[in-house]
Amino acid sequence: MGLFSDIYNTVAKFFRPQEEQGDASKSVATNRLKLVLMQDRTNLTPKILEQMRGELIDLLSRYVELDKELLELNFEQEGEQVALMLSIPVIRAKDEEEIEAALKAEAENLEEKIEAIEEEIENTEDISEENFSENNSDESSSNVISTPEEMNSSKNNEQEVSFEECHSEQ
Amino acid sequence: MTGRVIVITSGKGGVGKTTTSANIGTALAKAGNKVVLIDTDLGLRNLDLLLGLENRIVYTIVDVIEERCKLKQALVKDKKNPNLSLLAAAQTRDKTAVNAEQLKEICDTLKEENDFVLVDCPAGIEQGFQNAVAGASEAIVVTTPEMSAIRDADRIIGLLEAKEEIKSYKLLLNRVRPSLIKSNEMMSVDDVVEILSCPLVGIIPEDTGIITSTNKGEPIVNDENALAGKAYRNVAQRILGEEVPFLDLDEPKGFMAKIKNAFAKLKAKV
Ligand SMILES: Nc1ncnc2c1ncn2[C@@H]1O[C@H](COP(=O)(O)OP(=O)(O)OP(=O)(O)O)[C@@H](O)[C@H]1O
Ligand SMILES: [Mg+2]
Repeated sequence: MGLFSDIYNTVAKFFRPQEEQGDASKSVATNRLKLVLMQDRTNLTPKILEQMRGELIDLLSRYVELDKELLELNFEQEGEQVALMLSIPVIRAKDEEEIEAALKAEAENLEEKIEAIEEEIENTEDISEENFSENNSDESSSNVISTPEEMNSSKNNEQEVSFEECHSEQ
Repeated sequence: MTGRVIVITSGKGGVGKTTTSANIGTALAKAGNKVVLIDTDLGLRNLDLLLGLENRIVYTIVDVIEERCKLKQALVKDKKNPNLSLLAAAQTRDKTAVNAEQLKEICDTLKEENDFVLVDCPAGIEQGFQNAVAGASEAIVVTTPEMSAIRDADRIIGLLEAKEEIKSYKLLLNRVRPSLIKSNEMMSVDDVVEILSCPLVGIIPEDTGIITSTNKGEPIVNDENALAGKAYRNVAQRILGEEVPFLDLDEPKGFMAKIKNAFAKLKAKV
C-alpha cells in the first residue's frame, strides 16, 4: 500500500536478519524435495510399503500386542536425513511365556506346513507322472498344484490365526 | 576427427534447453570449433528461431532419414559464423517419424567432420528423449531452482546413469535469481547441487535480455554486456576443459549499493 508503508518495509528489511525473510519458502521446498526424491529413487511403491507394513506387523506381534489399524509407516525428514518412521500403538507387551508359546506354535505350524507341502509335492509328482503317461488333460493337475502365490497367502493367514489363538488361550 | 556429441536435456519443459543449445553452440563456434546443432523436437521446432535461421530451412532431419536429401544438404549454415550449422526438426511430423538408431547414425556421421554435435532434446522421458540421447556420449541436464524442474532433472539423471553410452553428465542451473536466493525464497545453487549430487557446468541468471535476443534471432552470447551471455560463454569454456570460476551473481554489495538498490525498487513501484 501507500508510499509510506513501502518505505517502512524497505527500511525494516535492512535490519531484519536475512535468514528470517521467507525462510519457510526455501526450506520447505528443499525438505519436500528431498522426501519426494527419496521415494522416486527407491521405487518404493505404495504396494511394497503395504507389504512391508504387513511383515512388520507379523514380526512385532510376536512380542507385543499392537493396534494393527493404527500402525503407521512413513518417510520423514529428520534433519539432514530421510528416516523411515514406524509408529506402533502398543496395547500391551507380552510376557516371556506368551512369546515362547507363540514362537513354539509358529515353529510347529511351520513344520506342519513343510510336511503338508512335501506331501503335496509327492502327490503332484505321482499325478504328473500319471498325467504324463496317460497324456491327460491339465484339468486334474491344476486342481492339485497350488501356485506359489496361493501357498504364500495361506501361510500368512495361518500365521495370523495362530497368534490370535495364542491370545485367546491366555 | 571424432567430435563430441552432447545432448542437452531436462525432463521438464520450458526450462531453457533450446536457449542453452543455441548459446553454447554459438559460443563454441565463436571459439573456433566446428559445431552442428540438431533440433530433435519434432513438431515443435524452435532452435531455428533462436538462431534467426527460420527462413533458410529447406530440408529437415526427417527428409534426411527418409532419404529425400543428403545429410550435408540439410545443414543450414549460420549467418555470421560459418563454423556453426543447424539440422532442423520437421515441424509437420511427430516423434514417431524418427527412431533412436536413425538418430545415432546421423550423430555418428556428423561427429566425423565436426568438433561438437549438440543435440537439443524435447521435454519428457519418452521416445523423443530416447532418440536424442541415442548418439550422445555426454549430457547437460538443464534445470531451474524450482521443485518440479529439479524432480524431473533427478529422473533424467537416473535414466542417463543407466545408459552405458553416456560417459559424463553435468548440471546447468538456469534462471537463477540472486535476490530471491538471498531472501531465502529460492533454493540456492548449493542446495540444488547437493540434492541432485551432480557436477555443475554452469549457472545462468534470469535475464530479460534473453527475450529480446530471441526476438532478434540472435543468441545472447553475442551480447558482450549481458550477464547471461557471459555466463554461457563461461559454460563453453568449461566444456573446452578450461577452469573458469562461476560468476558472482550477487547484487552489488555495500551499504550505499543497498540503498541505491532499495530506491530503485521503490521507484519502480511508485
Ligand atoms: N535465463 C533466462 N532468463 C530469462 N528467460 C529465459 C531464460 N532461459 C530461458 N528463458 C525463457 O524461457 C522460455 C523457455 O526457454 P526454452 O525454449 O529454451 O526452453 P526449452 O527447455 O527448450 O523448452 P521446451 O521444453 O518447450 O523445448 C523462453 O521463452 C526463454 O526465452
Ligand atoms: Mg526446446
